[in-house]
Amino acid sequence: MSPIDTTSPLGVTLALLPEVVLSLTALGVLLVNAWRHETAADSRLAGWLSLAGVGASLVALAWLAGTASDTAGIPQMVALDGFRYVGNCIFLLAAAATILLSLDYLEREEIRGPEYYTLILLATAGMMLLGGANDLIMVFLGLEVMSVAAYVLAAYDRRSPFSAEAGLKYFLIGAFASGFLLYGIALVYGSTGTTNLVMAGTFFETGELSVMAALGLCLLLIGFLFKVSVVPFHMWAPDVYDGAPTPVTGLMATGIKAAGFLALTRLLFVTFPANAELWQPVLGILAILTMVAGNLMALAQRTVKRMLAYSSVAHAGYILAAVWSGTRLGAGAVLAYLLAYSLTSLAAFGLLGALGRGGERDLTADDLAGLARARPWTAAAFSVVLLSLLGFPGTFGFIGKWMILSSLVVAGQWLIPVVLVLASAVSAGYYLPVIMAMYMKPAPAGAGDAPRLPRATVVVVAVIVAALLVIGVWPAPLLSGTLNVASSLFERAFQ
Amino acid sequence: MLLGPALAISALLFSIGVLGVLIRRNAIVLFMCVELMLNAVNLTFVALSRFHGVGGQLMVFFVMAVAAAEAAVGLAIILAVFRHTTSVDLKTNTLLQG
Repeated sequence: MSPIDTTSPLGVTLALLPEVVLSLTALGVLLVNAWRHETAADSRLAGWLSLAGVGASLVALAWLAGTASDTAGIPQMVALDGFRYVGNCIFLLAAAATILLSLDYLEREEIRGPEYYTLILLATAGMMLLGGANDLIMVFLGLEVMSVAAYVLAAYDRRSPFSAEAGLKYFLIGAFASGFLLYGIALVYGSTGTTNLVMAGTFFETGELSVMAALGLCLLLIGFLFKVSVVPFHMWAPDVYDGAPTPVTGLMATGIKAAGFLALTRLLFVTFPANAELWQPVLGILAILTMVAGNLMALAQRTVKRMLAYSSVAHAGYILAAVWSGTRLGAGAVLAYLLAYSLTSLAAFGLLGALGRGGERDLTADDLAGLARARPWTAAAFSVVLLSLLGFPGTFGFIGKWMILSSLVVAGQWLIPVVLVLASAVSAGYYLPVIMAMYMKPAPAGAGDAPRLPRATVVVVAVIVAALLVIGVWPAPLLSGTLNVASSLFERAFQ
Repeated sequence: MLLGPALAISALLFSIGVLGVLIRRNAIVLFMCVELMLNAVNLTFVALSRFHGVGGQLMVFFVMAVAAAEAAVGLAIILAVFRHTTSVDLKTNTLLQG
């Protein structure tokens, strides 16, 4: 086990191997598209090539995680720790699932342009750099690489006015938020003279912040909270999730949100751990607001896609509650919940996209009535996914919520856990009616056959549902694994 | 030293940009206000790098490159919206609401 020598160019390349492999694949796919971009078969080819690139990147990630030991000495721009590896794993899984779900979706919706897959790969590379960033410059660049690709993806369905409007809203709000983030970076740089998270952290160790640094922290928080759609910075999220093509919505709700949360966690836990009394009240209040408002607004929605969009806002509140704790247990809970939520959400949006047949924006719970009789397996899978979102015991979602609750209770907090449990109870009010419609209502007269799921979608959904159930009943390896990984964040912090 | 006035001016420019985004409803004007925010931050970086070395000036180049990429993508999206609604006014682009 030789630690990677990050002073040589080769060592740096090896330390960034997963990102490098993914970026090179993106360029390769773009090159192939230059010649082959006419037919549906060309689009499929680009999809499979991209999937191979994601697989190669996963292999590189596994190699890196096995080889690299955390390098002491000068902290690098991208971290070499377990927290980054697990984050990267989440992003790559989300990208793989999105690509598989998109294969048939793009064909059915007749969305031309195989560059779609290049954009997914570039967005994923941006997420990986953002989630592993150990330097504020890298935070900004990773965020922008991810966001610029995501703006285009949101507006990708050129014939749909909804998609164009979603792209416009996402772009304007995203650029606005990154302005705040950038000003925060400038002020932290001004007060410490460094953009490195670890070195800035040693500067703030005393627990005292200058006015400039406090303003910088405040602006950084605003920028991040916009990105992860926390109330009151959430207005854009339901509209954008609603209008974007459904597989892209899945990627935005999982990978992009996870990258934002992981970077926020690293920033607060590595750079500002001594100033917790400054940011904890803010995060606590916003977490409570987000859980309450997100769930109440989801109750009021008519269509399933918008309901899932608002529920994604509510889930951001749960994760923010885990960040609030500021402890090792909290960091572990962030990782576990992000993994649980990402898997569940990908399956939910995948099923929605496959069941909707063009009109999935308007799909209501009543449209799913009688699905259990026509397509029993599909209905069962959708039920498991919704129960996991709800946090029902026996599913991965329950384990994630339980970890968040225990991290909060250990930290001596009682208000946030109570709100979290009550908010989850409210969320049953919009998840369960969908399940009831599938199992207890007869199919509406005159409705055509429920669409059969495409094969790639079946594979993705089956794997995810199996993972949700297995981890739900046997969580021990996952719990100890995430806690071990979370402690890597703290070893670095007090180097 | 000029640090105080430079920081004050960039804070002022940034605030004008934020106000513009909040008040105006034309997508192109909104986009220009966002660019104003980014360039105000650039001024902060340049002013601060007098004290902290070239790191701040390096950052300015990254920000300029990113702003250019954002401009390319953003204007293309605004164009796509204009094709559908023949308007870049946010008040008329309200298909998605709730």
